[in-house]
Amino acid sequence: MNHFDEMTCLLYLEGQLDADHAEGVRTHAAGCADCRGLLRALQTESVWLRESLEADDESVPARLVQAPQHGGAPWGWISALGLSAGGAYTVWSGFIEPWRAQAAQAGFTQGNLLTMLFFSGAFWKGWDAMRSLMEFLAIGTLGLVVMWLLRRHLRRSTALAVVMGALALMAALPPSAAAAEQRRGDPNYTLAAGEVVHTDLIVSADSTRIDGDVEGDLITFSRSVTVNGHIKGDIIAFSQELRVNGPVDGNVRAFVQNLQLYGTVAHNVLAWAGDVNLDQDGKVNGTLTAGSGHLEVNGKLVGDLLAFSGDVDINGQLGRNARIRGGHLTIGSRAEIAGQTTALLRQTPDVSTSAKMASPLDWTLAKHGSETSYSSGRYYLHQILKWGASFLFGLVLLFVVPGFFFDAVKACSKTAPAIGFGVLFLFAIPIAAVIVCITVVGLGVGISAMMFWAIAIYAAQVLVGAWLGEKILGEAAGAGAALGRLALGLAILRALGMLPYLGGWISFVVVIWGMGAVALAIYKNMRPQAAAVAAVV
Amino acid sequence: MERRKSIGEMSTAELADLLAQVRAGDSDAWGDLYGQYAPAIFRFCRRALPTREDAEDATTEIFMKVRQKLGLYDSSRPFTAWLYKVASNHCWDTLRRRRIRQDLETGDLETLPLEHPDPSQLEQLQIEHDSKHVRAGLAKLPDRARMALVLRYYSDMSYDEIADTLGVRRAFVGVLLLRARHQLREVLAESGGGLHGAAAGGRA
Repeated sequence: MNHFDEMTCLLYLEGQLDADHAEGVRTHAAGCADCRGLLRALQTESVWLRESLEADDESVPARLVQAPQHGGAPWGWISALGLSAGGAYTVWSGFIEPWRAQAAQAGFTQGNLLTMLFFSGAFWKGWDAMRSLMEFLAIGTLGLVVMWLLRRHLRRSTALAVVMGALALMAALPPSAAAAEQRRGDPNYTLAAGEVVHTDLIVSADSTRIDGDVEGDLITFSRSVTVNGHIKGDIIAFSQELRVNGPVDGNVRAFVQNLQLYGTVAHNVLAWAGDVNLDQDGKVNGTLTAGSGHLEVNGKLVGDLLAFSGDVDINGQLGRNARIRGGHLTIGSRAEIAGQTTALLRQTPDVSTSAKMASPLDWTLAKHGSETSYSSGRYYLHQILKWGASFLFGLVLLFVVPGFFFDAVKACSKTAPAIGFGVLFLFAIPIAAVIVCITVVGLGVGISAMMFWAIAIYAAQVLVGAWLGEKILGEAAGAGAALGRLALGLAILRALGMLPYLGGWISFVVVIWGMGAVALAIYKNMRPQAAAVAAVV
Repeated sequence: MERRKSIGEMSTAELADLLAQVRAGDSDAWGDLYGQYAPAIFRFCRRALPTREDAEDATTEIFMKVRQKLGLYDSSRPFTAWLYKVASNHCWDTLRRRRIRQDLETGDLETLPLEHPDPSQLEQLQIEHDSKHVRAGLAKLPDRARMALVLRYYSDMSYDEIADTLGVRRAFVGVLLLRARHQLREVLAESGGGLHGAAAGGRA
């Protein structure tokens, strides 16, 4: 006798079979003990499932007792949004716009912050690379959209075929897109005179010496780097010491302790260094941007100078403007400055009477960081506007990613893990981003990581603020209540941040704590099954 | 929808009156409506979502949606049906956003055992496991399987409603339910009792 299968039996019990089919099952079961037994077992299972699901063994949590309210007093929203808008304007006009203007003054004229980051950053590799990146992103996005549209028709085999097809396509791409020679020193590395590297050259060694020519970029991680040959691309260096004697057709981007420029750089120099020296034989045809302890400009700089330095000595030729922010400025007797020189200094500058300057030095004395003007109303207005900016950011977070927002706020309760992860993320992400930028993964991922890192730093105070508000007023039921708690928590954090001496440390701990909470929330969302199992246990 | 969890003792007229007051912006009426239905919706969320915290958040968010969308509610239909529809859509969206749908939508029918399971082993499984075991087992199921069982055997949704909520074809709902039952049997058998045979089928 052919029995009905379990699927048919279940559909029969659930009343999902048409009349003829149901009659067939009924007739068969009347004469078949096996099928009657199965029908009875399935029916019992249905009842068992219903009873188990209906068993009410959990109380309703207290936070759900009160109905979530929305809307609230319109004036509250209007004033909060007004303050937020004011805060956003303050952040823009007080920080971003001046920075952008300073950068534009120094020759970074691409228009806005984002394009500046992309096109003037340390790793800008030219339009070809950017076009490839954009094409890749466009194709990737298109692929995701298509997969999303077809998601209901995809089977495992289809997905596998898509993945394999994508891998095959990647394998078929011309290898020149990521061409670079990688050399490792043992422990030192020398590119001999007369030798030519036709692609980018990536070197990691204790000491690196480049006497030959490099037709692409030179990217180096070394304790000491000396470049005597001709570099036709950029120099990107992470080292203790970098000495450039030969010509560079591109840019020099240096993250070093000591930078010495004796050759000619055809484009710009960007240096984050302890000491920077443009020797009198050295020449930079573009701009020089330096964040350094000590900066000496003895050679010829055709473009602008932008310096954030403890001490600045100018004894060379500057073809355009100089904008300096730092401790002390000396303009020597051999200095020739064709443009304007403006400076924000902590000490009175020394300007030689023999120096040739197109216009007099325009300088102002900077107040010391700790000399906060607590008696000034403007200071408190500024604090209120900053509070508004952070509240606005929290508002956006809450409405755009509410799940993540509440997860991260909850994660703040786990103080020790949050702070531990926070320390890790604060330092690990920038390092990872730099490494990613110079590997085959590329610029886009590295810059995205840095932008995420910056956003996470700002978000940290918002999350800790929301947590603090909840601790004081109790858990929030609904977005309105959460915003009220956020506003209170942010106000307290802002007030604590205003404390002399301690304020800075408190803000630092808040950043670490909040970043850790972000990390924990991301971890939770990436490991949902673990959470489910934990809940059962 | 054949049957719905009983929530509240309010008559149709009283409910209509209460809804009208909520639509008019009466905060007290909103509080009453919430108090009447929130516990049931929380219990539904508790069964549909993996953790208690998720269920708490979801309950709050569902009622915020309800308040926003109350104007769209067709009063000719039962309010509880509409409320459960909003709740189930929200829970499924939450799970989907987390991208933790492990199972395939069209889950091949041929992967299901076509032979009968052993009824005696099935009954033994039911005897050995109480409601707490079942609830714990449910939490270990893939989200789609858990949602299907909850929508069908807790919320009493029809196959059409389940298909609509989970975004699958109606013909697939039965497959989904049967497979979810098999997965639950396997989870329970592994957790104690050694009843693998019940899931695997006993005879041809």
